[in-house]
Amino acid sequence: MNDDFVPAHPQDPGLDPAQDAGSHADAILKVEDVSKIYRSGDTEVHAVSSATMAVDQGEFVALLGPSGSGKTTLISMIGGLLSPTTGSITLAGTDVAALSKRELTAFRAERVGFVFQAANLVPFLTARENLLYVSTLQKRISRKEAHARADQLLEELGLAARAKNVPEQLSGGERQRVAIGRALMNDPDLILVDEPTAALDTKLGRQVVELLAREIKQRGKTGIMVTHDLRMVEYTDRVFEILDGHLTHVEQPSALAH
Amino acid sequence: MNLALTEMRRSKLRFGLLAGAVSLLVFLVLLLTTLSTALVNSITGALNGVDAQVLVYSAQARDNLQASRLEPGVVEQVTGVDGVGAAGPISTLTTSAALKDGTEDLQVFGFQPGQPGAPTGLSEGRLPQSSAEVAVDGGGYVIGDSLDLTAADKQLEVVGLLRGAQFSATPTAYITEDLYGQIVKATNPGVPFVPVNAVAVSTQDDPATVVSAINEQVPGTKAYTKSDAVALIPGVASISQTFGILVGLTFIIGIVVIGFFFLILTVQKMKSFTLLRAIGAGTGRLSRVVAMQISVVVLLASAIAVVLTLLAVRGLNSGIPVSLSPALVAGTVLAVLVFSLLAGLLSIRRIAKIDPFTAAGAR
Ligand SMILES: Nc1ncnc2c1ncn2[C@@H]1O[C@H](COP(=O)(O)OP(=O)(O)O)[C@@H](O)[C@H]1O
Ligand SMILES: [Mg+2]
Repeated sequence: MNDDFVPAHPQDPGLDPAQDAGSHADAILKVEDVSKIYRSGDTEVHAVSSATMAVDQGEFVALLGPSGSGKTTLISMIGGLLSPTTGSITLAGTDVAALSKRELTAFRAERVGFVFQAANLVPFLTARENLLYVSTLQKRISRKEAHARADQLLEELGLAARAKNVPEQLSGGERQRVAIGRALMNDPDLILVDEPTAALDTKLGRQVVELLAREIKQRGKTGIMVTHDLRMVEYTDRVFEILDGHLTHVEQPSALAH
Repeated sequence: MNLALTEMRRSKLRFGLLAGAVSLLVFLVLLLTTLSTALVNSITGALNGVDAQVLVYSAQARDNLQASRLEPGVVEQVTGVDGVGAAGPISTLTTSAALKDGTEDLQVFGFQPGQPGAPTGLSEGRLPQSSAEVAVDGGGYVIGDSLDLTAADKQLEVVGLLRGAQFSATPTAYITEDLYGQIVKATNPGVPFVPVNAVAVSTQDDPATVVSAINEQVPGTKAYTKSDAVALIPGVASISQTFGILVGLTFIIGIVVIGFFFLILTVQKMKSFTLLRAIGAGTGRLSRVVAMQISVVVLLASAIAVVLTLLAVRGLNSGIPVSLSPALVAGTVLAVLVFSLLAGLLSIRRIAKIDPFTAAGAR
């Protein structure tokens, strides 16, 4: 959609991702050698193995991979929901792994905007209230600004007429758009979107991703979108692929066999 | 954007029903307590209102004022005991009279004007000073009426009205010890002396010390601090206990209802709470949502309960004076609030256990 932000990548796909990270010396997000092992009893699941990636300010990247490959695990660690077993994650100079529980809560409220795979909205709040509530979790944006911002976001997302509806009264696509508005509400450094099209048909899915890409570009935000749908990749600047916990940077997404 | 209040506004029925149920329980607590206080007061009022710190009965009385018989000379003996400031007689009998409100039972108390043993709780007029006068609590009298003591064939002028001065939940008349003697002699022509039921003692010292001094120095008597004597009035302990159990159970049921309601609500809302934790709401913030909702429910329920109790107290023409005390309301509401918030810890514990990462999962 917008290729201005796609940096030149001379390397071949499948090259050591550490090298790729090296070309983003002042990236806003740096994931370095991050692994996550889930332990329950005697069994160990290596959900993410030694992942390295860097994302520049203003980039919208896709994280592609089949189900169970570690996509949710990786973005959860990046967003401060899950601590990595090893490795380091830096967002705009903040070492995420070094934050205390309390600091992580504030980090999630102010620095990250999430759109989760499943439940994203509070059922007893209207679309507008779902946006407004997150603004109460931070101090940078005043109450008045928050109201204006919520209205503007709803307008941009084509939800102005649905502002007073509770999630139950909204369609799947509308709910997903409210969730995007909610993620953008606190003006975060990074937007993390987990399979936004999973519950939508292709046409609606495209619309939602297009809107998401537009909002991210317009606002100069940085975003990572998890998807297993190759067709959504065209809206992003760069593509990472994860397979069985192993992350690689992909040069030509169209070459991906799915 | 207040999460707690917004949710309550969206689920008016749910929270309304809870507030309704809680208000009935608070109403029961208030009504039962008010009634038991009124009942106990109507039984103990006379003794409680006696102007004295220590009461002396006969040793054989088994702690019962009405079973106590003392020779009048005991009053002087008691006056002589160390620590006793002043002492006066209290005499009482149950008689029948044609009362203005149509009832017939009358409790009569005799006292020595100006001495310990006189009643307190005068709401209008003054205490009797001569054997033609009476002050009364109950029976429907106003100042200036005449009270007809049928048994003694006496017409007395009502000069004072008392409140909270009844004994045995019966209209109670206060007369001078002098008149009391005349009545006893008129109804029992052969009596060798007019016995007194108790000696009322005023003191500047510690009442407990005076009690032991009297017990040591005046044989044949048993002394009590006034509060002990009141607590030992037959029936008082069992009334207090019975009502206490009822009030306690009602209270506990109310707290359990609130505690479980919010626990269920919290469990139902777990998905939302998990989402909110994931997007940066702290445990404390979410706990305050629960605490705020509990407070609103309790305060709303209490307001309804107070109105219900006031209506009930007004509609209740029980003969005994019943009134809702502000201290009782404040104490009850505070206790319900505090214990409900404690019960809310059940919910808060659930919230504290949330792993925000769960929100990222597919389900
Ligand atoms: N909480 C957990 N405990 C144990 N294993 C988990 C947990 N969450 C995810 N996994 C496992 O980790 C792997 C990666 O999961 P996930 O990150 O959810 O993949 P994706 O989002 O790509 O579908 C899967 O094998 C999954 O079963
Ligand atoms: Mg996933």
